[in-house]
Amino acid sequence: MDLCFSDEQLQFQQEVRSWIDVNLERPYTEEVRDPAHNPDSLVEVRRRWQKKLNDAGYLGMRWATEWGGRGATEVEEAILHAELNRADAPVIPNFLGVSLLGPALIHHGSEEQRRRFIPKMLSADEIWCQGFSEPSSGSDLASLRTRAEPDGDDFRITGQKVWTTFGPWADWIFVLARTDLEDRYGGISFFLVPIDQEGVEMRPLKQITGESEFGEVFFDGALAKREHLVGQKGEGWRIAMTVLGYERGASTLASPAEYASQLRGLVSALGERGSLEQPVVREKLGRLVVENEVMRANGLRTLANIAAGIAPGPESSIEKIFWSEYHQRMTDTAVELLGPQGQLQARSPESRPEVDWAYQYLWSRAGTIYSGSSEIQRNIIAKRVLRMPTAR
Amino acid sequence: MQFDLNEDQALLRTSTREFLENEAPLTETRGLMEESAEGYPKDLYAQLGELGYAGLLLSEEDGGLGAIAFAVVMAEMGRVAFPGPFLDLALAVRTLADCDEGPAREWQDRASAGSALVIMARGEDMGSTDPAAPSVVFEDNRVQGSKVFVPFGAQADAIVVSTVQGLALVPRPGTGWNATALTTLDHAQRFVRLDFDDEAILLANPSTSAGLLADSHRLGALGASAQMFGLMERSLELAVAYTSEREAFGVPIGSFQALQHRCADMLIQTESTRSATFRAAWAEETGTEDSSYLTSVAKAWAGPAGRFVCGQAIQLFGGVGFTWEYDPHIYLKRLKTLEQFHGSTTWHVENALAHAPVMKD
Repeated sequence: MDLCFSDEQLQFQQEVRSWIDVNLERPYTEEVRDPAHNPDSLVEVRRRWQKKLNDAGYLGMRWATEWGGRGATEVEEAILHAELNRADAPVIPNFLGVSLLGPALIHHGSEEQRRRFIPKMLSADEIWCQGFSEPSSGSDLASLRTRAEPDGDDFRITGQKVWTTFGPWADWIFVLARTDLEDRYGGISFFLVPIDQEGVEMRPLKQITGESEFGEVFFDGALAKREHLVGQKGEGWRIAMTVLGYERGASTLASPAEYASQLRGLVSALGERGSLEQPVVREKLGRLVVENEVMRANGLRTLANIAAGIAPGPESSIEKIFWSEYHQRMTDTAVELLGPQGQLQARSPESRPEVDWAYQYLWSRAGTIYSGSSEIQRNIIAKRVLRMPTAR
Repeated sequence: MQFDLNEDQALLRTSTREFLENEAPLTETRGLMEESAEGYPKDLYAQLGELGYAGLLLSEEDGGLGAIAFAVVMAEMGRVAFPGPFLDLALAVRTLADCDEGPAREWQDRASAGSALVIMARGEDMGSTDPAAPSVVFEDNRVQGSKVFVPFGAQADAIVVSTVQGLALVPRPGTGWNATALTTLDHAQRFVRLDFDDEAILLANPSTSAGLLADSHRLGALGASAQMFGLMERSLELAVAYTSEREAFGVPIGSFQALQHRCADMLIQTESTRSATFRAAWAEETGTEDSSYLTSVAKAWAGPAGRFVCGQAIQLFGGVGFTWEYDPHIYLKRLKTLEQFHGSTTWHVENALAHAPVMKD
């Protein structure tokens, strides 16, 4: 066993820390608290941050240098993400583009597609959103019904997508659409579609947090050009499923790092009001510390396995369940311990400066739903890890 | 980075599992646990001593194999709910080795060779196993006072006792121990209260002793966490096997989603215990991170997690899970015993918090 970073990895961590110190003007929580900002200007903060990361070579780290990457390892990528979260850096607006579409184009796209789309995706000059889920196809994604019908050499897309994160600001959307109504998996193709066209309507969707970070998209004969089909017709499902697996290692240490920062904020709030010595408070805080450290142990184990060439299997379901459910327990407990103040919105007078607790509390409800709900993850564990019998 | 065991450790796991599954399956050991006075397989302990297992926690030159190997063995013992005070023996051997030469060395040799059972007696408080200042005294080469919850104390050939004056060793008196049985919910245990007024040898002064007790407490917590992991891993295997076979409504009950999700939760708890425990063992062995903190994280996690896993195994077996005949209760009982000792969950939660990086910035 060896759960230490190597000297080179530690040096990389130091380099990232120094870079963040110099380049991050202030934690994102402070940006949100700034009354001068509105949702659009916050997107611009995030866009500028992405440009900085890109200029420094911190995006698509594991990609070949040819595509703007640096051929880094999973461990380095995990270190980067942990440091960014620790510092409460903004989430880049193109996170779905960089984590999903980038690998899809590199592994399955054409040379022209890579040249046309990757640079602007990395620089955030074009913002991408993801068109996978539909109102009737969430966990059962392969039941999707949006169709792409041939129109000369090109395709016309008709249907509806939903939970389209960053849709309201996006220039392009990558879409899974049916080119064959009969073939459940083999009838799905992967398209790149510009949003600014007749036949595409993007409606912001208000979330429980009050923001409209995601949207719903209506396609009514929208044009998808032949050269914007990724891979072959009918390869969409396979492409989507493989790219969903590429990013497993990157975030293993990011969640515990982010939550440790939030716990630090909780500790300083409780310290200020003198309740840090109360046994009831210590018991609750202690359990949160223990669970977060166990999550980190799981993350180090996964990362070490990836580094040793052991591909992460369905065990990643354990991590997904752990961090998403932990974040709910943590925000539940933190808000409760903070008393009435815990519910204050970031811009309210008297709110805690370190963590936007009201937002975190509500936002934590999303983690157990998106990217495969907790229920789907438990199905995966039961079937693929425990090999329990399938229902007739 | 690497999480996997190295070749030697993996080999140790395989050979230990083979040995324990052959020599100490529950079908063989249950009678011993449930009915015999001594409660543990003396001959197997002697064999394990000869094989070097009792000296696992010794330094490398004395035949020890390190904290990771120790955790590996403890986990395997958990899997078969191995009876007796093996963890306590390994801790006593380590403590004796860390004392000065002389009588301690002599007893350490016998204990690590498996020819003597030496046990530590630390607790004096019926309500706590947390380390505290002892009130038992060593005076005129005698130990006087009482210790509670001494595991298999009546069977011991010698007891290492914490006293105001430091650690002392009490060889079994000619008239035997003045022992009062404390019977707990785990029928496999043989706890006693020991009332001492016996000849003894002082092993270490109070300040050295305090350090040795802290080491022993931490290593005990690590060993307990590893055993709890083994208990959980095996409980889950038993539950999955049973629900895959048992049919109701014409199908295996393990095909029902409610049960599958329960088992998935059990896996999450179990595998997380593995991650936390082996990380703590690695920290103990390499000294690279705060082992007191990481051990407390592991033990504070393992107790509640294990209660859930072993408790749910009983639930998934249904009515037969509540019978004496089926095995799941053995695992829950052992789990509960381990949670109460080597620092309770509450103690380790507090210790983890006190050492936590988030409290230091």
